[in-house]
Amino acid sequence: MTVTLKEMNGKKIMALAGEIDMSASPLLRKELMALVKKKTDPLLIDFENVSYIDSSGIATFVEGLKGMMAFGGKLKLAGMPSGVKEIFSFSKLDRVFEIYGSIDDAINS
Amino acid sequence: MTEMEDAIKVNNLVTHYGDRVILKSISFAVPRGQTTVILGGSGCGKSTLLKHLIGLLRPTSGQILINNGNIAAMNEGELDEIRKKMGVLFQGAALLNSMTLADNVALPLREHTKLEDSTIQIMVRMKLDLVGLSGFEHFFPSQLSGGMKKRAGLARAMALDPEFLFFDEPSAGLDPVTAAGLDKLILKLRDVFKMTIVVVTHELPSVFMIADYVIMLDLGDVVFAGTLDELRISEHPRVRMFLERRPETEVYSPEDYFRFIAGD
Repeated sequence: MTVTLKEMNGKKIMALAGEIDMSASPLLRKELMALVKKKTDPLLIDFENVSYIDSSGIATFVEGLKGMMAFGGKLKLAGMPSGVKEIFSFSKLDRVFEIYGSIDDAINS
Repeated sequence: MTEMEDAIKVNNLVTHYGDRVILKSISFAVPRGQTTVILGGSGCGKSTLLKHLIGLLRPTSGQILINNGNIAAMNEGELDEIRKKMGVLFQGAALLNSMTLADNVALPLREHTKLEDSTIQIMVRMKLDLVGLSGFEHFFPSQLSGGMKKRAGLARAMALDPEFLFFDEPSAGLDPVTAAGLDKLILKLRDVFKMTIVVVTHELPSVFMIADYVIMLDLGDVVFAGTLDELRISEHPRVRMFLERRPETEVYSPEDYFRFIAGD
């Protein structure tokens, strides 16, 4: 998995690529929680190039959302391939996270 | 079946307990992303076969290819790596009685990953919720019913998001409603997580509910391998006996029986 930080229209985007599995989640957590700690709001996550996410990845985003909610920040997930979205849906978390079809939709929201 | 990719291939597997042959040079394949049921009567060798598939027993001869690696020829270090891709629900659930359910589920994550404990705690709650045990994190195995123990064992088997999930007689000792609930969960895991699932059982209702593919063992031989539809129409006498729940005919003649009990 690779993590790229960028900014569009003044909004911070964390673009992820590859597989988010148990070996990648510690790095994801480090990067995500650093932005949460800085109270980055909103924080957009681009999933377009993510091929797989496991339960450690989901749990990491749960931690991230919990951290964002603590200061009223918005965590927006965007561009999920269908297989990744299915995992979020299965764990009922698609109703808790703000999920957008594309990163442009998330930027314009 | 022909277009399916094989996740597991067993070639000419022979195994013994002492001098007694248990599996007689059996060969079959397990398709990826499907539920394969290993079916057979008591003592046919199905639990022994399962122990070989998860690398707990070494065969006398033959190959067991998992993702194209022959686990029958692997050293313990190589086996440990492949076992991280496997979750196993044993017949008795095999929970550690001195640990809470949360710690039982967390154990493989603490042993095999570098995840923070805060992440592990969330994962544990996710896994327990998946098997319907939300709120039981702090319970000990002795405080649970048989069905709950099985589900807790399944939560632990899934801790590392395995590619392969093995079940040894999942319905054994469960009431029909609880057993059906477990079957439904097996189907959900296959559909959402695309796991390759292998279930050893002799429970016909379970077979017809969960199986995509069936391998039937009888006296250490594979007597059937095919889809559920092919099983239903199979004319093999042992398959028919099993499906129609017909008892074995007399094994001994009266003379043989006399000689046996007389000790001659």
